[in-house]
Amino acid sequence: MRKTRCFIFLGALIFMCYSVGAQPQSIPELPRSTLDNFSPGIRDQIQVAYAAARGHVNDSDASGRLGMILHTYGLFPSAALFYERAARLAPSAFRWAYYLGVVEAAQGYCDKAASTLRTAMRLDPNYVPAQLQLANCLLTSADWDGSEEIYAAIIKLHPDNADAYYGLGRARAARHDFAGAAEAYSKACALFPEFGPAHYALALVDRALDQGGQADEQLRLYERNRDRFPPSGDPLLDQVRALNRSATYQMQIGIELEKQGKLEDSVTAHEKALEINPQLVQAHVKLVELYGRLGEFERAEEHYRAASQLDPGSAENYYDYGVLLLSAERYQEAESAFRKTLEIDPFQADAHNNLGFLLERQGRLLDAMTEYRRAIENRPYDRQAHFNLGRVLVNLERYQEGIQELEKTIGREDENTPRYIYALGAAFARSGDRENGLRYIHKAREGALTLGQSGLVDSIDRDLRTLEVPRAPQ
Amino acid sequence: MKEREKDRDPVRELPKAKQIWRRREFLELLSWGLAACVGTRRSRAGFQSSPVFLFREVAEQTGLKFHHFTGATGEYYMPEIMGAGVALFDFDNDGDLDVYLVQGTVFDPTRDPRLAKFPPPAGWKPGNRLFRNLLSETGKLQFVDVTEKAGVGHIGHGMGVAVGDYDNDGFQDLYVTNFGHNVLYHNNGDGTFTDVTVQAGVDDLRWSTSAAWVDFDRDGHLDLFVANYLDFNVKANKRCYASTGERDYCTPKMYQPVPARLFRNRGDGTFEDVSEAAGIGAAVGPGLGVVCADFNGDGWPDIYVANDGAAAHLWINQGNATFKETSLPSGTAYNAEGMSQAGMGVAAGDFDNDGDEDIVKTNLTKEGCNLYVNDGRGNFYDAAAEYGLLLPTFPYTGFGVEWFDYDNDGRLDLFIANGAVNRMESLPASPYPFNQPNQLFHNEVVGKKFRDMTEIAGPAFAISEISRGAAFGDINNDGAIDVVIANNNGPARLLLNQTHSINHNHWLLVRLDGGSGNRFGMGAKVEVRRRGQKLTRRAHTDSSYLSANDVRVHFGLGEDAQIECLTVYWPNGSAEAWDKIQADQIVTIRHGTGRRILGGG
Repeated sequence: MRKTRCFIFLGALIFMCYSVGAQPQSIPELPRSTLDNFSPGIRDQIQVAYAAARGHVNDSDASGRLGMILHTYGLFPSAALFYERAARLAPSAFRWAYYLGVVEAAQGYCDKAASTLRTAMRLDPNYVPAQLQLANCLLTSADWDGSEEIYAAIIKLHPDNADAYYGLGRARAARHDFAGAAEAYSKACALFPEFGPAHYALALVDRALDQGGQADEQLRLYERNRDRFPPSGDPLLDQVRALNRSATYQMQIGIELEKQGKLEDSVTAHEKALEINPQLVQAHVKLVELYGRLGEFERAEEHYRAASQLDPGSAENYYDYGVLLLSAERYQEAESAFRKTLEIDPFQADAHNNLGFLLERQGRLLDAMTEYRRAIENRPYDRQAHFNLGRVLVNLERYQEGIQELEKTIGREDENTPRYIYALGAAFARSGDRENGLRYIHKAREGALTLGQSGLVDSIDRDLRTLEVPRAPQ
Repeated sequence: MKEREKDRDPVRELPKAKQIWRRREFLELLSWGLAACVGTRRSRAGFQSSPVFLFREVAEQTGLKFHHFTGATGEYYMPEIMGAGVALFDFDNDGDLDVYLVQGTVFDPTRDPRLAKFPPPAGWKPGNRLFRNLLSETGKLQFVDVTEKAGVGHIGHGMGVAVGDYDNDGFQDLYVTNFGHNVLYHNNGDGTFTDVTVQAGVDDLRWSTSAAWVDFDRDGHLDLFVANYLDFNVKANKRCYASTGERDYCTPKMYQPVPARLFRNRGDGTFEDVSEAAGIGAAVGPGLGVVCADFNGDGWPDIYVANDGAAAHLWINQGNATFKETSLPSGTAYNAEGMSQAGMGVAAGDFDNDGDEDIVKTNLTKEGCNLYVNDGRGNFYDAAAEYGLLLPTFPYTGFGVEWFDYDNDGRLDLFIANGAVNRMESLPASPYPFNQPNQLFHNEVVGKKFRDMTEIAGPAFAISEISRGAAFGDINNDGAIDVVIANNNGPARLLLNQTHSINHNHWLLVRLDGGSGNRFGMGAKVEVRRRGQKLTRRAHTDSSYLSANDVRVHFGLGEDAQIECLTVYWPNGSAEAWDKIQADQIVTIRHGTGRRILGGG
C-alpha cells in the first residue's frame, strides 16, 4: 500500500513536470526514485518539503529548502534541480547560487560550478567559503593561475585563513614552484598546527626541495593529524548538514566524537541513531564497546542482547561482548564469546589474541601459543600478539624463539616501546645472555626516562640492581 | 590542380612533424563525423562507407559468450559486487591469445542458481571458462569454449586471475583467486591443466583479489604475490545502508583488512610462504589492484598495491629478499591532498617516455583517479589534475585500468573500466543500479593533458555496464592492442581495436624468451630507440584489476617503419641489444642471442 502511494506520488511529480514543461512555475522533476526504500523519516521529510515547494510555486525558499534536504542526503543531481529553481525565483539570493555551485562541484562539474560560484560571489563578495570553493574548483581543473589569484585575494583580507594558504601552496606546487608552495604550506600549518593534509603537502614539497629531514618530520605530523582540518567555518553548509535525519549520519557523528575522546557524546549520537533506526545493528554493537569503556556494564549488555537478537551472525558483537566480559573478569564467559566470534570470523586477529590470553591464564600454554600464532597470521604486524607469543615461549624456556618474537615488537617507536624493549632485555637476561639483557634494559630505561614513565623506570631500576650485582667468580 | 590534390589529401603537404598531428586531428574528425551516424551506412560519391570507430565490440560474434553471475541473493554480500577478472594468454602456444574468464557462484551451494536474484541466462555454464582462439589455425578471430577439456572450470566465488610460467616449462600457468580457496592450475602443455594448489602450497582461504607473478629474488623462478581484501564472511555479513536509508553494499571500512601473501618459488614446483620473513606483513590493507615494476630504478622489482579506502602500499624491494613499505614518503599512499582513497585498479607504465614507471590508480566515484608521476628515483607526485584526468574520472568508480598505446603513436594512452559499488541516484529504478560507461583517454603532446576520447571511440564506449576486470593484448595479431572487459552481472566484452584502418602507424610486438629461467622474461625492461628517442616498456601480465594481460611487449612506432636498436634489460641483470629491426611484426627475442651490454642492471 505504501509502495503504491509512493509510486502515485512520484507519478504525480513526473506528470506535473512533463505537463507544465518549462514554464517558470513548474516544479522540477524528482528522479523516478523508489522513495519507498528510503527510511520513513527521510521519505516524509522529502515529501513534506516537496509538497511545500509545490504548494508555493513562486517561493524560492520552499524550493531551496527541498534542495537542501536532497543535498544533505547526497542526492546532488536532484538537489541541483531545486537549487537552480530557487535561484531563478530569487536571483538576488546568494545562498541558492552558492548551494548550487557546491553541488555542481561535488559532482565534478567544475566548469559549471565555477560559473555558478562566480554568480554567487557577485551577490556576496565577502563569503569566504564560496571563494574557497571556486578556487578549489579551478585548482581541480588545473587552472593554477586562476586559483592562485583567488587564494591570494582571500589571504589579503583574511591573513588567518589556513585553508587559503593550503590552497595557495597546492596551486604553487602544481606549477612546480616548490619553494613558494613550502612557504604557503608552512603558513597553513602555523595557523592550524593540526592541519594533516597541509603537513602531508609540505612533506612532499620538502622532499622535492631535497630537504629529507624536514619531509620526514612533516610526515610524522601528518600521521598524527591525518584527519584533522581547520573548522569548516561555513554556516550555510552547516545548515544543510543540520537537516540530515539519517541514522548512518548520526553514527558518523558518533564515530567522530569517539575519535575525539568524547565517549559520552558518542554514546548520545549512537543512541540517536537507534532512535531513528532501531534495527541498526552497528549502532548497538558500537554501544556495547562504548558503554563497556564507560564502565556501564548493564547498558552494554542490553545492547549486546539487542544486537544478538537482530543479527546472531555479528562477530563484532560477540567480540565486543567478550572484551566487556574480560574487563569484568568473567573469564569463562569471555572465552565463550571469543570462540563464538572465531566460529563466525576465523580471521579476527584480536579474538585469537584474547582467546590466547585466556588460555594462557588457564596454563594451557600450547593452546595459547596456537591462538597467538593465528592472530599473527591474520595481522602479521600485531605487536601484542608477538609479545604474548614471545612471553609464553620465554616462560617455556624456549628462549631463542621467544626472543625472536619479542624482537618484532620493538621496531615501532611510541609510548609502549620502552616496555617492549624492557621485556626483550629481560628475556635475554633469563636466557643467560647478560650482556644483551643489560644493553636492552638500559635502552628501555632511557626510553622510559625520556617519556617520563617513572613507574617503569622504577621497575627497571630494581631489575638492574639485581642484574648488575657483580657475579661471583666461577 | 594543386588545390584539388590538397583537397584530396590535406595531410600531404605538411612537414613531417605536423603530419602526425594532422593525422590524429583527421582521425578525430572522422570519428566525430561517424559518431553521428552510428549503425548507418552513408553513400557519398558513389561509394558506401561503414562507420569506423576506434574500437568495435565483437565478443558475441567471435564466440566469446560469457555472462558473469554474481550469486546475489538480496543480502548484499560484498563479494557479489567486486568480481571478476579476465586473462589474455596463449595457453597452447599457437601464437594467438586465448581468454580465461572468472565466474561467480551462489553463496549457498544447495541453492539453484536459477533462483538467484539475477539468474544466469539460458545455456549458461557454471565455473570459470577458457576460450581458445582459433586465429592461428583458421585465420579468423573466433573462440571456442575448451574449459572442460582443459580442466580449468573451477566453481567458486571467483575474483581474479594471474598468468605466469612458474615452472619455466614454456607454458603459462594460471593462479585463480577467490572469495575462498585459491587455485593454481599448472599448464601441462597439451591443452590441459592440473590443479596443483595443495602440493605447490599456494592456497589462501582469505578473500583474495588481484595476484601477480614476480621474480622478486631474481633467481629465475616466478614468485607469487597475492593481495587479500577483507575479513568478510557470509555468516558475519553486516547490514549497510545508503545515506537515504536504503540497503546498500558496505564500504570496506565495515570489515578488517586481511594480510597479503608472498610465496617464494623454490624452483621445484613448491612455494614457501615468506610473507612475514619478507616484511610484507608489516602493513596490512584491503588490497585490490597489484602491479609489480622497478619503481626506483635499482633493478629489483617492487610491488604497488591499491588498497580500498586506505593508504596504498609501495613495497620497495631491498634486494635481500625483503621489502620495505614506502608509500608515504614516496608520495603514492594518498592523493595530492593527503587523503586515502578507494584504490581499485592500478597500472604502471612510462606514459611520459622519460624512462621510469608512472602509476595510475582508479578510485571511487567523487574521488577521481591518481596519476603518480615518477621522478626516476621512486618519488612521486599526484598529477591527475595537471594531466586532465581528475575531472573526467571524478563521476565514476574505476576498476580495470592499463597504459596502452591504442593508436600506435608511441605514447601510452589509458583505458578505464568503470562500474559503481554503491547505489547510484541516477539509476533509482534499476534493480542493480551500478552501471557506468568505460573511458578512453588519449595521451596528447600539446598541452600535456590527456584527451577524453570516450565520446568518439564508438558505440562500444556508449555501453553502460558494471565493468570490473579488463585485460589488454593484441588478440588478432594486427599490431593494435585490444581490450577484453569482464563485467559484473553482465556479458564479457571484446573491444577490437580498429585504429589501424584509420591510421597507418607502425608497431612492434616483442615476445621475450628468457631461456631456462623466467621463460617469458616477466619484469624485463624493453627499450626501443628510434630517431634517437627511447621508448621503454615492461614485460608483464599484472596490473589492471583482477586481470592478466598479454605478456608480449607492444610498441607503437608512429611513422617509423624500422627501429634503430632494441635493448632488453633481463630480470637477471644482464642486458642485450639487437639492431635494426623492421616494424609491423611480432618478433621473438631470445636471451643470449643479442649484443651484450655492460652495466645491464
